[in-house]
Amino acid sequence: MPISRRDFLKFSGGAVAAISATAAVGSRTLWAQPTAQDSAMVDDVYHLLNRITWGVRADELAHAREIGYQAYLEEQLVPDRIDDSVADALLAENPILTFNRADAGRLQNREWRTQSALIDGMLTRAVHSQRQLFERMSEFWFDHFNIPADELGADLVVYHRDVVRRNVLGNFRDLLFGTARTPAMLYYLDNYLNVAEHPNENWAREVLELHTLGVDGGYTENDVKEIARAFTGWTINDGTDDGFWFDASVHDTDEKVIFGHTFPAGRGIEDGLHVLSLLANHPMTARYVSGKLIRRFVSDMPPESLVESTTQVWIDNNGEIVPVLRHMFNSDEFRASVGQKLRRPLEFFVAALRSTGTQFTDSWRRFETLEDLAQIPYGWQPPNGYPDVAGAWMNTGGLLARWNVAVLLTHGAHSDINEWGVRSALYEQISDPATVGELVDQLAVRVYGDTILSPATRAHFVDFASDSQGEATTITAHLMARKYATLYGLMLSAPIFQWR
Amino acid sequence: MAISGLSRRGFLSRIGAMGVVGVSKSIFPAWMPRLAFNAQQGTPSGDVLVAIFLRGGIDGLSAVVPFGEGANYYDKRPTTAVPEPGSSDRAAIDLDGFFGFHPSLAALKDIYDARALGVVHATGSTDPSRSHFDAMQFMELGTPGMKTTANGWIGRHLQATAERNDSPFRAVGMGSMLPSSLRGGSTPLSLRSIGDFHLKGRENELEAVEKALSALYGTESPSDMLGSQARSVFETVDLLKAINAAGYTPANDAVYPQDDEGFGLGLQQIAQLIKSDVGLEVATLDLGGWDTHESQGTNDGFFAAHLAVIGDALSAFYADMGNQMRNITVVTMSEFGRRVEENGSSGTDHGHGNFMLVMGGGVRGGQVYANWPTLAPSALNDGDLQITTDYRDVLAEVVANRLGNPALDQVFPNFGVTPLGLIAPR
Repeated sequence: MPISRRDFLKFSGGAVAAISATAAVGSRTLWAQPTAQDSAMVDDVYHLLNRITWGVRADELAHAREIGYQAYLEEQLVPDRIDDSVADALLAENPILTFNRADAGRLQNREWRTQSALIDGMLTRAVHSQRQLFERMSEFWFDHFNIPADELGADLVVYHRDVVRRNVLGNFRDLLFGTARTPAMLYYLDNYLNVAEHPNENWAREVLELHTLGVDGGYTENDVKEIARAFTGWTINDGTDDGFWFDASVHDTDEKVIFGHTFPAGRGIEDGLHVLSLLANHPMTARYVSGKLIRRFVSDMPPESLVESTTQVWIDNNGEIVPVLRHMFNSDEFRASVGQKLRRPLEFFVAALRSTGTQFTDSWRRFETLEDLAQIPYGWQPPNGYPDVAGAWMNTGGLLARWNVAVLLTHGAHSDINEWGVRSALYEQISDPATVGELVDQLAVRVYGDTILSPATRAHFVDFASDSQGEATTITAHLMARKYATLYGLMLSAPIFQWR
Repeated sequence: MAISGLSRRGFLSRIGAMGVVGVSKSIFPAWMPRLAFNAQQGTPSGDVLVAIFLRGGIDGLSAVVPFGEGANYYDKRPTTAVPEPGSSDRAAIDLDGFFGFHPSLAALKDIYDARALGVVHATGSTDPSRSHFDAMQFMELGTPGMKTTANGWIGRHLQATAERNDSPFRAVGMGSMLPSSLRGGSTPLSLRSIGDFHLKGRENELEAVEKALSALYGTESPSDMLGSQARSVFETVDLLKAINAAGYTPANDAVYPQDDEGFGLGLQQIAQLIKSDVGLEVATLDLGGWDTHESQGTNDGFFAAHLAVIGDALSAFYADMGNQMRNITVVTMSEFGRRVEENGSSGTDHGHGNFMLVMGGGVRGGQVYANWPTLAPSALNDGDLQITTDYRDVLAEVVANRLGNPALDQVFPNFGVTPLGLIAPR
């Protein structure tokens, strides 16, 4: 069946996925604190890796246990010192990610090719990079300053690389200033239309509500209007290096009053820069973004004590991100949060890829799989980024989709790759187990990074693999042919794999 | 500026093999260790709504043809106009002496004449955006100009009437991703197809897998959210299995079109769900492909064939549902219409005003509702058909009169509804 632009428009319009915003709010009362049944088996180091990586791998876990919790965290906080040649070599096959704005803009079929390149880069890094915390934070900032690819793929390549990734573990101020002038954002939130004669408030409102102070950040409607005026003339021009252009001729030069500060008449680009500076230094920004970090990495319901202490660290360090993360991951609240985060569909998908090593031989199949899971990277339409709480993601179709993706990723073991569009090498991942018990334990290490299964969970896997004959059941070629891939898929489908 | 003129044509080259992922396309195992789902949700207090979104911006001037405009229409469209009624065997089908159906909608004429189908023209979302993405968002969120609205208009309707029904089938979006319109509606179900909503894997292991999943998730007595969801998956699969998608025979010899996008099949499955009495209140369905910038094929090409899918599917649905149409309202919409003047590629570019179809027992049909702004050059909005009827006026009447929900200020916030008299109260 031919796939065409019409299909693209179809899902673009529907890219809210199977998500409901009320469920996100309702989850607090509906489901209270989710807990994974196997969380009792988790120690501090495992917990840390489960949160700051895209899926715990046995080799990384062994390394972290060897050097210790603190040392591993510090290692991850200085990613430049971590050798990443494997991921770099894979990324070299994706030259679009290195294109400048003009080159990317000249690509034939650029919307699909740029978004496809971005997705490929995102997955390659998440699966293969040793700089796992960096990649988790890259995703966090992209969600925070979300821009959907839509027709903006070419500008997104530049934005993602030169603004987001350049500042992932730097200072929040640089992210804020960078996103404010990047063409993708200027276009997406309409500031390129914002001129003195017809102010457009879209960007002004979102920079307050979503990027800095938060909706309860204490600003007024008048602040929104005045900030919109301050950014008049911030626009796009294909003639500049990065596409940003301040058009003084359409800037509103009259006096403005913002957060009680008087911006004198007669200024130009300084107006907008001044606003950004106020926002970057604002204590409500520190609090709002700290809260979001905690929601992402600690709990759907950020403990107030941790929000307060993290905000203080943010303020004390002028928005430097590394000390904030160091504080958060060393907090008691973090250590006590085992089993409180549901993996988002993309986290599930990447973690499964990290375990199975499955490769897609067909990029359209990969795209369709992400669509089934309802979380296409760079596909979230509204400016608030993919939701972060379990309630937003749990729905009937969503869980079934995970189970069926688990089947897809593991059945390459005995299927024609041309039919499935995936290739995996599952048999290389275990070494001659003698009994079903050994098979389950070996596979658990492969899937979860460690033998963290509770006795009850382990017994269910054993029951399945042995047809209830028990863990001493001898492994035969026949049993492997019949059970191995399905057992693998079952381990990816189990509740324990849905939590982090 | 270059960025705003980007073409979406590139997506035409995204040809891939979109096949069914499943190994086992067959049947669910008989073994089902779970509670039967209680489908008795009580008497519905409103119509079933079927909301159809025609994605890409359908050319409303070719679908519902303003042949009465004469030169204002025909001179602007040397290759994309539909001939006046009676002028050829592919001419427009006269509706009221001014507007006519495209011949591909011929199957709808009887329903129109039976007054069960009404047409609204020069309607749409009033925001001036000609961006597909923005315009679709605005229309589906129900708040033109505001893309940060948290929920869709149907989602807000479902919220306002949440006490009615707790069926997992209350709101179903046909497709793998739910449209924005359903956002916020408790737990809407996305359903690519009835037959496809099942656990995949090696057929001879499926029973054991289900048993293991059931044990792992504790679905017998769920103790957490995942357990509840898993149980809901099994219940939904169970119920869909009972519906027996493969064995469905439409009533009254209705024949749904078998189009590539599965629109006909989607509508047939909605019919099945309605007949199965599983508590369906709202279903959404999309038909894309309308972004016809080049070689539109109005009379004998792509457009003509694609439009026939709508006409044939809706008429099949109408026939299939029979008397039950009394309690059903179908409405179509599209993010914007297309420019009055065709472009140099025998296609049409993004425009503004468009048409909507409303079909059902409560429709005061057999009429084209239009405060027609004319296609005179001076009457155009930036070269496009003006919008003189806000699409929310149409939907609001459906919500109030057929869905029995008077909370229009919640469904369409900050909007003063102007009654059209298009839809009778239940």
